[in-house]
Amino acid sequence: MDMKLSRRRFLGAAAAGAAASAMPFGSFRAMAASPFAMQASWINDAEFAGYFLGLDKGYYADEGLDMSYASGGPDVIPESTIITGRADLTLTTPDTTIKAISEQGAPFKIIGTQYQKNPIGIVSLKSNPINKPEDLVGKTLAVPPVNVISVEAMLKLNGIDKADVNIVPYAYDPTPLIKGEIDASLDFTTNVPFTISQQGAEATSFLLYDFGFTIFNDTVVVTEETLKTKRKELVGWLRASRRGWEENFVDPTVWPPKWADSWFKGTGRTIENEIYFNKAQQPLVESPNGIFSMAEDDIEACLTALGQIGINGSRDMFDTTLLEEI
Amino acid sequence: MAGNKQWAAPLRNVVALLLVWEVVGRLDLIADGALPGVSEILIGLWNDRSDYPLHVWETLKASGLGFVIGNLLGVVAGIFFVLIPVSLRVFRGLNIAIFALPPIAIAPILSLTLSGLTPRVVLAALGCYFVTMTATVIGLSQSDSRAADLIRVYGGSNWLIMRMVQFRSALPSILSGLRVAAPNAVLGAILAEFGGGGRWGLGAYLLGSLGRAEPERLWGIGVVATLIAGLAYGVFALMSHRFVGASRAVTMNMSVPEKAGDEQSRPLSSILAGAMAVLLPFLFWWAFIRLLDVPAMISKTPIGVVEYLFFSPAAQSAQERLIAALWETLPITGIGLLCGLTFAFLLAISSRLFPGFLRAFMPVALVTQTMPLVALTPLLVLLLGRGTSLTLWVTISVTFFPAFVILAQGISMVPRATRELAMAYGASAGQELRIITIPASMPYLFAATRLTVPRALLGVMIAEWLATGKGLGNLLNQSRGYMDYGMIWTVAALSVILAVVFYQLVVVVERRVLQRMGMSTAE
Repeated sequence: MDMKLSRRRFLGAAAAGAAASAMPFGSFRAMAASPFAMQASWINDAEFAGYFLGLDKGYYADEGLDMSYASGGPDVIPESTIITGRADLTLTTPDTTIKAISEQGAPFKIIGTQYQKNPIGIVSLKSNPINKPEDLVGKTLAVPPVNVISVEAMLKLNGIDKADVNIVPYAYDPTPLIKGEIDASLDFTTNVPFTISQQGAEATSFLLYDFGFTIFNDTVVVTEETLKTKRKELVGWLRASRRGWEENFVDPTVWPPKWADSWFKGTGRTIENEIYFNKAQQPLVESPNGIFSMAEDDIEACLTALGQIGINGSRDMFDTTLLEEI
Repeated sequence: MAGNKQWAAPLRNVVALLLVWEVVGRLDLIADGALPGVSEILIGLWNDRSDYPLHVWETLKASGLGFVIGNLLGVVAGIFFVLIPVSLRVFRGLNIAIFALPPIAIAPILSLTLSGLTPRVVLAALGCYFVTMTATVIGLSQSDSRAADLIRVYGGSNWLIMRMVQFRSALPSILSGLRVAAPNAVLGAILAEFGGGGRWGLGAYLLGSLGRAEPERLWGIGVVATLIAGLAYGVFALMSHRFVGASRAVTMNMSVPEKAGDEQSRPLSSILAGAMAVLLPFLFWWAFIRLLDVPAMISKTPIGVVEYLFFSPAAQSAQERLIAALWETLPITGIGLLCGLTFAFLLAISSRLFPGFLRAFMPVALVTQTMPLVALTPLLVLLLGRGTSLTLWVTISVTFFPAFVILAQGISMVPRATRELAMAYGASAGQELRIITIPASMPYLFAATRLTVPRALLGVMIAEWLATGKGLGNLLNQSRGYMDYGMIWTVAALSVILAVVFYQLVVVVERRVLQRMGMSTAE
């Protein structure tokens, strides 16, 4: 079994080397690099631009990583892939991760965060605008079942009885919102407003973050075991990924078109959508302390917000020391 | 010439249907334009033509592989069960459990425990196994006992009877099983692709496309999925049509069926077989987890589930949520089951009376089987709201098709001589149906009911997951998001157990009724 695996790794690395034949030394490096698997939290879209860029430009190889990247989907519970050892590192929603640590004793550590501010928010049409939590009273709001308790927390923080809002499941498609069957939906504010504009309507939105639900998103999570055994690789991953994201945000319109025939091929989404997404997410990802950083105040705010929905985390679930080594 | 005439009417119906669809779609008459016109779908398909080949290829690979594996297992198991009848009783629980596994509950479990193409192949194969196995057993055991007696008289072995009589007479039944299995395989693969996070496959394409609010694209994907399934369906329907003529009894078998009565004669072995039937699914469940070596946090053994549900700190909250969910899910499942069966039965009967209607209806019926429901959700929600009527519609749409295929098959297998007897005495078509065809298809009605029970539960869970936000479907989805593995396994296990219990109830009623009518069950 081990033999087979290492052989496959070898072939993979060799293929990567062959692909990089324009850079003759790249292949040497790829062969010597240590394998490192990353599990993303969703299908390929601009949410993961920084990693695509890092992979394309060889930033991970520069850190001695032979990185493999797996996209996610609704059935892929990111944390599960690091428990089973299929991935070394994954991107998660902090509520899920912290709940798993505190309630099931899962051996996870959060070593960084892609989004300083969680991009999920309440999206509605300008013609029937919902600009603040109070506007939701008496309205129908579609929420992915996973996020229901986050929404309920936000309502509670703003003094609204959850019984006053009609919450229904959100099934990935904004059509019911555009057609007025629902009044608002919970989604990535970096993404859906574009779709709505494509359908000839105009969207308005607000972040849950701005109304008290102050959590990160796409938190970078590893197991304690990996943290112990692969610290060097993890710091390398953070450094390479930060380079990728910084480069991406120099001009967020530049990279998505270049990936039309690679990372974004056949995803069913448009490049214009990815450009919109990439621009919209810039202020949520960037931080004065550097991308992925987790300031003490922000960790505190994240824990407090989660405490509101009965998820009791603590500071030691976060490890900021790797960020210091970048 | 006769062939042309035969096809003219249904063709006309299909064209008329497409025309109505086109007009209605173009004028945005349905759900404010959520149903696109036919031409809009075709234009969309053309515009996206460069996207499709890789996705289609991936889906073909997974569903084709799953179809072959699932059906092979189904046929081999079916033969095995008929040759060694006691094995059918021992494996009964496992068979029903495999059949009743709700795909939406095990898709995440498969993505957790297996990697690459495997979850897709497994889900496709699971969709095929039971249908084909049952069809094989039905076909083999419903063979004309006179032909078997003939071989036995000449000193032929069981195996020879199997080869020369039973297998031959079972072919139409097996082929009709494969016919139902084909769309199941495609849907299974697509479902696993949808959730599993791979880059290619129609399911992955669907997921990426959902956020665009472009029904043309969603329908385009549905049309392509339907074409794949439809082609497979067509091939087996054609083969079945060929074979049915060659293997159906022309005259009536007057001998009384053997009583399925060795249960009374050997109570001990019967109890043993029953106990094995109950234990085996749990054994397989346990072995699956042991073999895969997935960490205990993620994969729960039967003992793990009991622990979670009764002895863990979360036990009380888990029980409360579960009971509340069950209370929401169960009543509507019963009603949906009844509606779906009634619909299928009426359809099968009318297909006897109006064969042309059947041919026109089949393509539409097939679309409802292969069009992924998640793609239809916005349309359904806009048309039906998020209440009971939506749940019922979804349930009917997932239940009626397999029930219908079995019923139609049963009705077409009624020996001609019996029907002609009634006709010769001057019975009208309606009277003939009432006296001959409907009673004669009773075993198939029961078989269809058994087959439909778990699907009704699945239909309700899908509707709950996508639209109504209630019951087991919603609970499952929420637990998936919260890594509540205990609950994921509990819901999966409980829905299987429920389906098995319902199934068993049908069997009890079935035995009573059929014994009184002097018929044998279509196992």
